[in-house]
This record gives sequence, structure tokens and C-alpha cells, in this order.
Amino acid sequence: MADADPMSESLAAARPLSPHLSVYKLIFTMMMSIAHRITGAALYAGALLLAVYLLGLALGPSAFGAVSWIVDSFVGRLFMLLFSWALFHHLLGGVRHAIWDRGLYLDREGRELLAKATLGGGLVLTALLWIASSLLG
Amino acid sequence: MSRSTFQSGRSGKGDAFVSDRAGSLHALAMRHSARALAPLALLSIWHLVGLVGKSYEAARAEIGRPLPAIALIAFIVVVAYHARLGMENIIEDYVHDKSLKTTALIVNKWTAIAIAAVWTLAIMIIAAPR
Repeated sequence: MADADPMSESLAAARPLSPHLSVYKLIFTMMMSIAHRITGAALYAGALLLAVYLLGLALGPSAFGAVSWIVDSFVGRLFMLLFSWALFHHLLGGVRHAIWDRGLYLDREGRELLAKATLGGGLVLTALLWIASSLLG
Repeated sequence: MSRSTFQSGRSGKGDAFVSDRAGSLHALAMRHSARALAPLALLSIWHLVGLVGKSYEAARAEIGRPLPAIALIAFIVVVAYHARLGMENIIEDYVHDKSLKTTALIVNKWTAIAIAAVWTLAIMIIAAPR
């Protein structure tokens, strides 16, 4: 196999590599799996932004003035809302994976139930957090 | 790739499934850090959302108390570890060019470390007695 011919080499390059998502019909559990990955990546970027905010808060009032939009403007509040939702969604997605790791809820009904619980639970926890925070914070 | 010492399969009733290939270490590290993150994330998101609408002094007072400060530092340290491993999975899945993949993995490693370092330093400055 040392001298592969150009045709098979180009075929190998064009060969779809996993995860080639576009060949599947979109189903709910699959979208929740993708959502787990997207929320994870979004939390990474959000943590970077929050680190910048905390650095500004640490450096002093003028530095804080430059970064306070991250948490306190309209955009900032939207960011914090989405960040907290992504955190809850990803957290519950992790619980779902922990349940699956133990071989539980792997049948069709179980998968669908856990996917719904992840989506609903994330939204409910986000709402509860913001209500409690505005009442007690 | 060296083999880990884990045994293939489910090691006991209710235990997680593991394989004896090298990927097991990566997968188990994700799960172990996730377990630590569950309580830390709940504590931290409460204090982070609590910053909304707060002035400079009020925000510093909120974060500067010992318990929120310790929780937020512990949180970001484990987050950086967990997020680096997770982003490694994403890079390995989607970046197929060998040199680009190597670069992306290195950038990912130092970005995760930088986030944790800056975040931790900031909290320590805020929480330090004045």
C-alpha cells in the first residue's frame, strides 16, 4: 500500500469522516446531543468573557467602567441569561450521560424522556434562578 | 498509546462502562470533573447572576466574601480542565488537517489555562483584605 494511486487517494480525502451529521434525519435526541456540545462550547467562550469582567472588577473603578457592559447592559443581561441557561442545560445533559453510562434509560421511551427532561429542566431552573435572584439578591 | 489499567466492560452493577483503550482516561476525566462541577456550578451561577445590576462596590462586596470567592476559584479551575478536554473532543472531531489540529489543541490548552489564571487572580485581588 506504499504507492496508492491518485484516484484512491482523492477518494480517501473525499470520504466523509465522523460525525457526518448531514446524512441523518434530524430527530429530537440527536438535536439534544448537538445542543450539549454547542452549550459546552458556548460556556467556554462565556467563561472567557466573564474572566475579562472579573479582571476589570479587580483592577479598579475605571477598568470596571470598561467591562461592566458584560454583565449589566441589555446585551450583558441577555448574555448572563443565556450563560445561565447554557450552564443548566449542559449540567442536566451531563446527568443524562451519567444515567446512560450506567446502562439505564437507553430504550426509546427512556431516551426521549431524558431528552425532554434536559430541555424542560434547563428552562425551569433558569427561570427559578432569575426569579430567586431578583427576589433575594 | 499506552494501555490504562482499567478493565473493559462494566466493572460492577450500576458502574460506568469503561474500555481498556487510552481514550478511557479522557472519558473518565470528563466524568470525574463533571461530578465536581455539578455543586460548584450551582453555587457559582448564583453568585455570578447576583452581579447583574450591581454597582462596582456592591459587586466587589458580593464576590469578595470568603465562600463565594472560594467557590468561584474552585469552579473555574475544574471548568478549565473540563472545558479543555471537551474542546479537545470537538477539535478532534471536526479539524482533520493534521497541523491545524495540532495548533488548535495547543491554543485550546493555553486558552483554558489563561481563563483560569486570570479569573483566579481577579477573585484573589477582589477578596484580599484592604
